[in-house]
Amino acid sequence: MINVENIQKKFGDKVVIAGISAQMGVGQCNLIIGASGSGKTVLMKCMVGLLTPDQGSIYYNGNSFTTMNPASKTLIRKEIGMLFQGSALFDSLTVEENIMFPLNMFTKDSRGEKLKRVNTVLDRVNLSGINKKFPAELSGGMKKRVALARAVVLHPKYLFCDEPNSGLDPQTSLVIDKLIRDLTLEHQITTVINTHDMNSVMEIGDYILFMYQGKKEWEGTRKEIIFSKNQRLNDFIFASDFLKDAKDMRMLGETGKMPNDRDLDQMIRP
Amino acid sequence: MTFFSDIGRFLLTLKGMFKKLENRQMYGKELIRQCTEIGFGSLGIVSIISVFIGAVSTIQTTYQLVSPLVPISTVAEIVRDTVILEFAPTLVCVVLAGVIGSRIASELGNMRVSEQIDALEIMGINTKTYLILPKIIAAMLMIPLLVIIAMALGIWGGRLAGAASGTIPPNLFDKGLMSNFIPYNVFFALIKSYVYAFILSSIPAFFGYHVRGGALEIGKASTKAVVISCVLILFADYVLSALLL
Repeated sequence: MINVENIQKKFGDKVVIAGISAQMGVGQCNLIIGASGSGKTVLMKCMVGLLTPDQGSIYYNGNSFTTMNPASKTLIRKEIGMLFQGSALFDSLTVEENIMFPLNMFTKDSRGEKLKRVNTVLDRVNLSGINKKFPAELSGGMKKRVALARAVVLHPKYLFCDEPNSGLDPQTSLVIDKLIRDLTLEHQITTVINTHDMNSVMEIGDYILFMYQGKKEWEGTRKEIIFSKNQRLNDFIFASDFLKDAKDMRMLGETGKMPNDRDLDQMIRP
Repeated sequence: MTFFSDIGRFLLTLKGMFKKLENRQMYGKELIRQCTEIGFGSLGIVSIISVFIGAVSTIQTTYQLVSPLVPISTVAEIVRDTVILEFAPTLVCVVLAGVIGSRIASELGNMRVSEQIDALEIMGINTKTYLILPKIIAAMLMIPLLVIIAMALGIWGGRLAGAASGTIPPNLFDKGLMSNFIPYNVFFALIKSYVYAFILSSIPAFFGYHVRGGALEIGKASTKAVVISCVLILFADYVLSALLL
């Protein structure tokens, strides 16, 4: 469980995050969504400690991360896995060495045991047999999956994913989403995901926080998002006519009637 | 103002390196990797530079020493002292500032821009200790060794050039090498090499570690690191010479 309480962050005079509070549950995919520049990445960086908030608190299972001493912070960080937007794999290391890196650093397991764990997570992300390849030899989707394997190899309690689908085709994005959701449920991880991807919002968003210009504009579940009357949220999520139609169809399925007295024929556009 | 804030950040970066190690074995491996890259990786260029510096010194000194009153073996003395005091430590380290310095700055800059440093931080690893300290220690271990090799190869290059051009026979060169040798000069050169090693590893590490932006900024940081390292090496050369000679 992660609690974010009244987080504020400024860069110079520019307020990037203005008093965000949220509660992110265990075994859930908690999504932070919003337009570019809305403060999603800054909020995530504050949550993992890469940036220090100017005000407010972040609690990991009730322990205040913002006020704890560096040694305790290091302990919390060992329970955090993070999937970066650009994967952040170490270029000079092979896939196996990349995934084994946290194990080498923080466990005293034998090489055989570590290799077994590496192969297990590689198998889990459907990438068995690529142990000796270097990151430069992998596609974008494979890099993301290797990075995900590295993020979960120490069985983290908290998983942070910064735009896991950026630069990926829709099919690969779905694979990554499914993997994240499955791992979250299997290991009861508190997962926090920054995303622009509407598929992710509708597929895996157990809790959704919509940010607009550094503020919390809306929060809810993926079911509630369909019925939301928040104009900014609707403009962001259902930006195209196609998505508006999809939303209305979903509402029709859920409630049995069209929203705003729209005629079904209106939706059939040339 | 930026100058003073940069000095402050540089000192804080150095202070930040001295933290408890998460896993000594991993740090040991990283140190060995850096020693290999800095030491063996630079051996080729150091050898080539040293041999040619020695050779050119011999030929140019012979060309300038035209007086029949000065014995020809004096050329070897001059080449020896010039190579030991100046060429081996200073010139080689200026070249190494380019070779090693740009590599360190671009490696760390690339790691910063591609979020690899953030990934290490998230894992709970002190990145200053893991990424910068081994580079500085490796440079301070390997560069004095490279300087000693440069001294030997420089003198050998000079002897070879003297023999090849016929200006100074090997027996006279050897005689000159043995006369008026001051062991303190070698000690002084080693002190210089330790100071230069620290400069050419810590300055690029600082600039690389603190890169913000993209590929363009990595290039700028790398260039800035090499230029500042070279200037500081020359400045340190003057200060050390004034203080210790």
